[in-house]
Formats: sequence, structure tokens, C-alpha cells
Amino acid sequence: MAYIALSEAEKTFILHGVEEDFRCDGRSRRDYRPMELETGLVSNASGSARLRLANTDILVGVKTEIDVPNPLTPEFGKLEFFVDCSANATPEFEGRGGSDLAQELILSLQNAYESPFAFDYRTLCLIPGQQCWKLYIDILILECGGNLHDAVSLAAKAALFNTKLPRVTATLMDAGITDLIISDNPYDCTRIGIDAVPLLVTVCKIGDFCLVDPSAEEEVCSTVSMVVSVSMRNNEAYLAGTHLTGGGSMHRDTMLSSIQLGVSIGEQLNSLLVKMLKAEQERVGPKRPKTVGFLK
Amino acid sequence: MLRITQTKNTLLDGATIAEQLYATPKDCEQFFESIEKPTELVVAPRSTFIRAGVLTTVRGSAYMEYGNTKMMAIVAPPRELVRSSAGRVNMGVLNCYVNFAAFASGELASLPEREKHLGSMLTKALEPLVCRNEFLNFQLDIRVLILDDDGCLLSTAINCCGVALVECGISTYDLIAASTACIYRDQVFLNPSAKVEELLWQHRGGNALLGSSSSSKKDEKAATIQEYGLLINASMDSFEQLAQCQQCGYLKPETYVRLLDYTLQINKSLRELIKRVLTERVKEQHVLDMRERDEERLEDERLATIIERLQQQGLNEFIQSNIKEDPYTKK
Repeated sequence: MAYIALSEAEKTFILHGVEEDFRCDGRSRRDYRPMELETGLVSNASGSARLRLANTDILVGVKTEIDVPNPLTPEFGKLEFFVDCSANATPEFEGRGGSDLAQELILSLQNAYESPFAFDYRTLCLIPGQQCWKLYIDILILECGGNLHDAVSLAAKAALFNTKLPRVTATLMDAGITDLIISDNPYDCTRIGIDAVPLLVTVCKIGDFCLVDPSAEEEVCSTVSMVVSVSMRNNEAYLAGTHLTGGGSMHRDTMLSSIQLGVSIGEQLNSLLVKMLKAEQERVGPKRPKTVGFLK
Repeated sequence: MLRITQTKNTLLDGATIAEQLYATPKDCEQFFESIEKPTELVVAPRSTFIRAGVLTTVRGSAYMEYGNTKMMAIVAPPRELVRSSAGRVNMGVLNCYVNFAAFASGELASLPEREKHLGSMLTKALEPLVCRNEFLNFQLDIRVLILDDDGCLLSTAINCCGVALVECGISTYDLIAASTACIYRDQVFLNPSAKVEELLWQHRGGNALLGSSSSSKKDEKAATIQEYGLLINASMDSFEQLAQCQQCGYLKPETYVRLLDYTLQINKSLRELIKRVLTERVKEQHVLDMRERDEERLEDERLATIIERLQQQGLNEFIQSNIKEDPYTKK
């Protein structure tokens, strides 16, 4: 994570704030910072989203390509994640400085999206065993203000919601060769179901308490955090991949309570995100008013 | 109309669609059938062999067999950080590298990716274990060589590295023990074999779970999702701390807790084993040290008598007395 120098006094102040359930920015331990979400702003990508969570700024673009499915999973499409920690997020990312962090984010996303329950890979299938969509989810970290896991997963889900796959029809030709015909009407497209797409919730342990959405300063104070990936299916929460990170250890009971916290937060976050995405889609629709200024 | 140029598809060359060249969900079904399923749940580790200090060329090394999984861990003493940018870090840096021996696994294509993944997970698991504040601005390299892969790779690597770290004399907060558990179709596999892991990973949890692609069936199945997943848990039991707990798959929180408790129980007995191995090792080393000291004492005594005689007899006489007849020239 990005390195911020904090003095002992500052750390103690943050720690005491957490104990009092009144953090530096006035939040309680279960509160998120304000979020700003925008979809469909990159014209060259099939789907895109930009998420700003206080100081954390993420831009996600989804590109599509036609590929051959894995022979072991002939009915499944493919997903590929790429995280780019750009050097203007923090100077530390210059050169190869951000590669470790990027690798960690990619691994946790891959782990969360691995299960066919979490992401329905069959919607990406064109002809079983022969042709499928491959989605490249490119994540660009523009600014680093703590809680990257959550922000990245939220933005990825929003971008997947925004993704439009052109409608494809196939014709069977001689010798079993199929020919794909892609619709040339830009509005004739299919969407991807995102109901069960998991969200990552970082539960951060500071002192004796667990909290969500740590800011960059709070991350420095934490000993260990747990990344819980929550996938909602039939109104039930499932874990789609969890791990500990941050170089510390925790007790079993702490871990169970942080999973509980993560799951309940994930549920709320998920319903809120879906609601906001639907609202945005209805309000703006396909004819988006021309906005001036890309990042505003 | 836009026409897609035919993407290169070697599978299709000359084949007709009727021919199924690839695995179908049904194969998963058969695969699952073919796997040996434990009839009762034995919450115990596999038969294990651990030996500390197998190599003389490095300070800390350990060899471990966990059932058929075999691996070796090597820890070199900490050395100064090479990266200049890491100067601000207030903790020692841990680097773990995992390598598969060329014959360890049947499938070679995905090896580099797996090695990288295992390496980063291993680093995460060992970070809470090592007293990293004791070697600021130093880095500790840990290498693991996997000789044979029969599942439970990460947990075995953690166990093996824990022993190698102690052997190397790196201070740790506690002893670490790790184990793996997984669940598939309500069947719990403890210490899953490579085949079970393959079923979970290669077949994406046996994609047959979702049923065939017909939508009516899907709705039916959606109501009763069969959870599956894998849990790797590394614990340090003195203060009941979990150093790493990685889960993948799709699990309900309750199932997660169930698997967690199984692994904790296995970890307890593994920890006893590791403790015993390490005490044996210390005893063994002690016996060796004692023998060495005895030999040294004998040698010292011998030298002392020689010196004494030297002082008494003078140099010339001593040399004369020590010349022995050459047994070959005598003939």
C-alpha cells in the first residue's frame, strides 16, 4: 500500500478515535466515505466506470474479444483482469514500484470471480466449445487514498454492468465451420447479469476493533486486515474468496466477527450499488448529455 | 454486415461439430465418481515426515513429506536490501520463491503462474510469523522446491518453511502449522489430493454443478446451490492466532466456519509433530556437539602430552623418538 509517514502521536489519535467509534473524518466504524460513480465514459471500451471513493480514484474499462473457450469448460467465457497502478497515484508506483500491489489486487479479483456462481460465465459463451467472449477488465488506479480492494471491486462491477456485448448470430457452414455475424446496430446488444458478481470488503483491524473502508492513514495504523468477498445470490450472502493481508495475525473469534461485519456491509453495499446503477441508467439512458471535463 | 474472420481454432480443423473433442460437464461427473471419497471424516493430518537440516550448504533447510506431497525449503540468513526504494520500510522484507521441480507436476503450461501465486501467498502467511522488526533493512529469502505434487501444496510449504526458519535461527513469534480442507457437493475432503484440487480448479468446481445450459433447469438448480470451496489455514497456536486464512470457491459463512474448525484441529496435531521434530533435532544437535567436544578434549589432551614431552626431552630427542621405520623400505 502507499506509504504515508505518521508520527506516533497521530497514530494514537487515530487509534483512540477508532476506540470511541468516532473516526478522524467523523465516521463510525461501519461507515463508508462518500462515493461518486459514473459509467459509460470511455467511448472506446465496451463498458467503463469511474469510481471516486473520497481520495481513491479508479477508472475501469472493459474490452471484448472473441476467443476459444478452455476445453475443460466449453460453455464458459473468459475474464482477464489487469491492474495498472499509474505513477501519478503516488510517486512510489514509478517504474515497477506498483507491481506488487497490482499483483495482489489481480489475484484477489481473480479469486473472487473464479466461481461460476459468482460470475455466470455462460453468458459469455457464443458457441459451446468453439467461440466465446473474452472480457479484458483493465483497472487504472488514478489516485490512491486507501481501501483499494473495495473501490476496485465496486468499479469493476459497475463497469461490467455497463458492458454491452454486440448481438451475435452464427451460421453453420460446410464442414462444421461456423461463421459469426456481429450485429452492426450499436444499440442491438446484450448485457451481462451482475446480480451475483462479488464485492470485496476490506475489514481492517485497528487496536481491538474492526472497521470498514480505512483511509490511507488508517491503513498505516492497522495491524492486519481481512479481505472478504461477498456475493449475493437469492438474497443470501456467500463468501467467494477471503484472505488476510497486511502482515499481521488475528484470533479466530476476531476473524469470525470481521467476516460477519464484512458480509453485512457487503450486502448493503451491493444493494446500494445496484440501485444506483439502475437509477443512473434510467436517468441518463443511452443518450447521455454531453459532459465537459473527463475527470471533473 | 460485419463478418468476423475465422479465429484460429486448431480444435476445429477437419472436425465436425458432432465430435466432442473437449470435456463436457458429464466428464466432471465421472471425474467426481472416480475420486476416492473418504467414508468417514478423520480430522487428522496425513502421514507426515519432517526433517530439519537436510542440506549442509545452507544454514536453514527442511524436507517434508505430507502423504505423497514432497518438498524442500531453504532459508538463507538475512542479507542487506538491494532495492534502494525500500529504505523507508520499517520492517524486514520477506521474499518467498516457490519452484516446481520439472518432474513434479504433469501439467507444465500453468506452472509459472502457480509458482508466482504460491510465492505471494506463502509470503503473506509467513509475514506474521517472523520477527521482522529484528532485521530492519534486511531481506530474508525463502525458497521452496516442490518435488512432488499431491495437493495441499501451500499448507505443506508453510509447515516446511516454519521448520526451516527455526533451523536457520531466525527468530519467530511462534511455531506455525497449516492445513487444507475443501468441500464439494457436501463432501468434505480434508487434506485434499491433487485430483480433488484439480476438480475444483480446472473444472471450475465441476461446472456440471450448474446443470446443463437449458434455462428451465437452471432456475431449478438456482434454488439449491451446491457450495464448493477450499480453505487453507495457517495458525500459530500459542495465542490462537491465525496467520493466514485463504478461501476460494463459493461458500456460506457457516460452512466456512466448519472448515475452519477442521483445519484448526489438524493444525493442532501438526504443531505437536513439528514441535517434536524440532526438539529431536535440538537433542540430536546436542549429542553431536557433545561428541565433538569430547573429541576436541581428547585431541587437546593428546597435544598436551606431546607438548609436555617436548618440553622434557628437548626438540632433537623428540624428533628422534618419533621417527618410525618406513614399513615399505624395510622390506
